[in-house]
Amino acid sequence: MNSCVASFAVSCQIEDRTGVETLQGEAKLNRFFADVEKRALRIAEINIRDRDEAFDLVQDAMIKLARNYAGKPAEEWTPLFYRILQNRIRDWQRRQVVRNKVMVWFGRGNEDNDYDPVAAAPDPAGRTPDETLESQEAMASLEDALGELPGRQREAFMLRTFEGMDVAGTAAAMGCSEGSVKTHYSRAVHSLRATLGEHWQ
Amino acid sequence: MNERTDVTAEDAFAKKAKQQFDESVDRLDGETQSRLNRARHAALAELRPSRPAWVQWAPAAGVAAAAVLAVVLWTGNPVVEDLSAPAVASDMEILLTEDSLEMLEDLEFYSWIALDEELEEMPEAENNVG
Repeated sequence: MNSCVASFAVSCQIEDRTGVETLQGEAKLNRFFADVEKRALRIAEINIRDRDEAFDLVQDAMIKLARNYAGKPAEEWTPLFYRILQNRIRDWQRRQVVRNKVMVWFGRGNEDNDYDPVAAAPDPAGRTPDETLESQEAMASLEDALGELPGRQREAFMLRTFEGMDVAGTAAAMGCSEGSVKTHYSRAVHSLRATLGEHWQ
Repeated sequence: MNERTDVTAEDAFAKKAKQQFDESVDRLDGETQSRLNRARHAALAELRPSRPAWVQWAPAAGVAAAAVLAVVLWTGNPVVEDLSAPAVASDMEILLTEDSLEMLEDLEFYSWIALDEELEEMPEAENNVG
């Protein structure tokens, strides 16, 4: 009888400890997602030029990170999260290529690809209309220029510049060597500066 | 010298790009932020330990068991009262015999006779004492 009570008490303690650890892990991951989610959404949106689709990709990446990698050290979450997101973006782009080919085959062009970054930009907050317009136009120009870059260069530039990741983290997120990251990033900056011209210098 | 100028220009460009990007993030509307919030909580739900499968089915199983029990009780063998034929017959005889009915009608008379007989027996018993 006593042994039953003791084993029950031990199992309760284990469950309590597991519950506390789960709550702590959840709070930590919540802070990580809250910090990264808006930038991740914009990065996905710039890549695929569709906010709703970008939102779905970010949500998928969040769920996969929580499901499979929540037990990893928190320092590894950023590259893991962006690696998942970049894979989702590439898969989406591949599907779009196939879809567009099929549409062309059946005589229908890409009718719904009329994305306008300025029109899609949200309401201004705390800036004069002129400043907002200027900022939106500058960002729209940058997004257009980024859209013309090869995918790997765009990934390297966005992760390094927008997300502020270091070369090692970017390499982990992209699944390539640090040397490749440096090359992609350097070429991306040169191309963007050449495309955007003096307006951006 | 030119190389250093290029690096500085690249850094300035990256800085400006980052600034523009951050401003575009700040301009995200409330609806989008709300959707992100909901997505985040949906993802965090993956961390919570899921209940065993049988627990999820327990309410349905309980309802099903109750239904089966109700059907069995309703359509199963009816409960037969243990009224054996002779007992029923004797009860009927008592109820239907004319004598018994007469006895019931004159119940006070028969009670008086019984009391009288008892009184007659009592002196004999008292005489035997002592």
